[in-house]
Amino acid sequence: MLDKTDNTTQSTAGDQPATKRHKRFEALEKRDVNQDGFVKEWPEVGLIAMGSPNDPAPAIRIENGEIVGMDGVDRADFDLVDEFVARTAIDASVAEQMMAMDATEIARKIVDINVSRAEVQKIFTGLTPAKIAAVMDEMNVVEMMMGLQKMRARRTPSTQGHVTNVKDNPVLMAADAAEAGLYDYSEIETTVGMIRYAPFNALALLVGGQTGRGGIISQDAVEEAMELQLGLRGLTTYAETVSVYGTEDAFRDGDDTPWSKALLASAYASRGIKMRFTSGTGAEVQMASAQGKSMLYLEIKCVMLSKGVGVQGLQNGSISCIGVPASVPGGIRAVLAENLVTTCLDLEVASGNDQSFSHSPFRRTARTLMQMLPGTDLIFSGYATVPNYDDMFAGSNFDCDDNDDYLMISRDLKVDGGIVPVSESDAIAARNKAARALQAVFEELGLPRITDEEIEAATYAHGSKDMPDRDTVQDTKAATKMMEDGITGMDVVKALGRRGFTDVASNVLEMQKQRVSGDYLHTSAILSRDFKTIAAVNDLNDYQGPGTGYRLDGERWQKISDVRQALGPEDI
Amino acid sequence: MSEQLASPPAVEMTLTERGPAKTGTAPDEVVIAISPAFGDQMKRKTLHGLAHAAVIREFCAGIEEEQVKARIVRVWRSADLAAIGFDGAKLSGSGISVAIQSRGTALIHQRDLVPLAPMELFPQAPSLALSTFRHIGKNAAKYAKGDSPSPVPQVNDPMARPKWQAIASIYHIRETQFVRQGEKAVELDVEFHT
Repeated sequence: MLDKTDNTTQSTAGDQPATKRHKRFEALEKRDVNQDGFVKEWPEVGLIAMGSPNDPAPAIRIENGEIVGMDGVDRADFDLVDEFVARTAIDASVAEQMMAMDATEIARKIVDINVSRAEVQKIFTGLTPAKIAAVMDEMNVVEMMMGLQKMRARRTPSTQGHVTNVKDNPVLMAADAAEAGLYDYSEIETTVGMIRYAPFNALALLVGGQTGRGGIISQDAVEEAMELQLGLRGLTTYAETVSVYGTEDAFRDGDDTPWSKALLASAYASRGIKMRFTSGTGAEVQMASAQGKSMLYLEIKCVMLSKGVGVQGLQNGSISCIGVPASVPGGIRAVLAENLVTTCLDLEVASGNDQSFSHSPFRRTARTLMQMLPGTDLIFSGYATVPNYDDMFAGSNFDCDDNDDYLMISRDLKVDGGIVPVSESDAIAARNKAARALQAVFEELGLPRITDEEIEAATYAHGSKDMPDRDTVQDTKAATKMMEDGITGMDVVKALGRRGFTDVASNVLEMQKQRVSGDYLHTSAILSRDFKTIAAVNDLNDYQGPGTGYRLDGERWQKISDVRQALGPEDI
Repeated sequence: MSEQLASPPAVEMTLTERGPAKTGTAPDEVVIAISPAFGDQMKRKTLHGLAHAAVIREFCAGIEEEQVKARIVRVWRSADLAAIGFDGAKLSGSGISVAIQSRGTALIHQRDLVPLAPMELFPQAPSLALSTFRHIGKNAAKYAKGDSPSPVPQVNDPMARPKWQAIASIYHIRETQFVRQGEKAVELDVEFHT
């Protein structure tokens, strides 16, 4: 501290002596990055990204083909999560052999283009959580990206978008879903401002999404029972917001266990609905339930638990807790590591990038390059296809106003970011058609009227600020009644058909048929525009260095290259 | 921000324990349930620098504006806001409570609801102004009288997470260290000083 009489102090307008400031530091303080919150590591409570001194040393004990000790804990002292992981996620027949391998050697195999994806996966079936954490600790971010490029399940990368608005306006939501289809999102996800709007939001994404592009799959992140019911009715076509945690305490806070989550997963699978779990670094420490363990170590338990349950995939990459790992040293590296672990355990990864995480455009971009450059099954989960003020997942890392920046990065680096450029006229046409299709469905199902004025507004809107208000009391009553009346995806098909939206009706019908065939339950499944499943079964990632794996070329590269902003000789 | 957190709060209060909290019988009271460290630990300020004393004064003012009595209890057994609010509601003669954690996260609860589903939840502490806390008190009092007020309007700031999430976690972890498991809630008298 400086003495007040020191000659480095100066008087301010209020005659209060103040410390004389270096003007560059004053300028730095005003920068976006200094709006973010940063904290020091506090390992005793688990506020540390990787390598907490309280993380256990890797170890396994097997007797009579059963795991009786893991990472220094005897089976009798296992908590719920350890018990589940030991029982379901580690192959006891190979564990001793795999655990005997050096962590550095395993890390090198992940990076080595001469070692196949299958070989790495075989090793991971025999590792404990602490061993996997030790392997990750050997890798820098470039090596992790190398790993992700090789280890992700589907050869073709893709991405997911958020379609929400703060008013829960269904007309705007349908238009936005259609536009997302044009950009070629494989999945679109919505949630609610007002819970009672949930059925309308699901309906808007179903109709709007299938107007934009056949085969886009949609989900509605709401309370678990309602989310399941919407899926069973065929109003949504996948689910993802089933959260799991790395400690027993954190599970109990949500009134849950690994077994209750497994039951829910089975309910979706039994009705042919694609689903994945959600987890992420930072959740346990945020709930003061980390027991001094590092964020990554606990997240590895979540990934293994998801594998053990048998779900085909996992959304991680910190997700809604991103502010926690992002505030400590090496946090974004840990977030990349959790994505990589997910792929090494042969699960689909929907790799985050889905929540506002920094005020700084540099930090936002650097964070996303970790998944965009190697490519993942779903790079964002998801990207705000709407302005962030309308993103009801509390804002995403990128929003619709970043579309051209993101597409230019894709074009600059010849990297597939999962979306392609869209022309203004195509966007307007698709938005208008989706809004009209929803108007027809609402009329046929006896739901509150959608006016032509609303359709016009939704066609050209930037966001919900451009939309007239609806009667929310009437809407939410009708949405509740729609569920009571047992309206299903088939009623939507019939309504669209009766009103002449034959192509949209046919697309919605195809989505209902997917649930019967069940092909899109395979790991990393998405659907092409003509409803062909693209999954780790028929599009398995075969990357093993230059000349192999996914390459951005052909028609898709042309689309990304030929942007509306680029001038040709004939323009000059 | 660090300076704001470091300086002493503008308003202070003295909280005096008056023994175990009893279940109220007066239908015209709202319980203000505070977390284990609230008011006398953790620099006596919320996440974004509001004096704990000022917040309590606004809660009381909002409740009393509706001719309803405010009663303050401290919940020791948990730092979880839903648990604190639910315990407060069960102690309240009207069945209505407001609850707050040291970081400033608040809710209105009612004893017949399930613990994790309060009547109104205010999850973004940094977006809550003193006037919002007064409004929360007022709404709680209206519920106590059997009215159906409009929910207290809230601001949704998509950039609250990058700025506050980690710091909010530290608040919660520190507060959890003051929890006394198995200990009953206590009745508190409050005296304000400026």
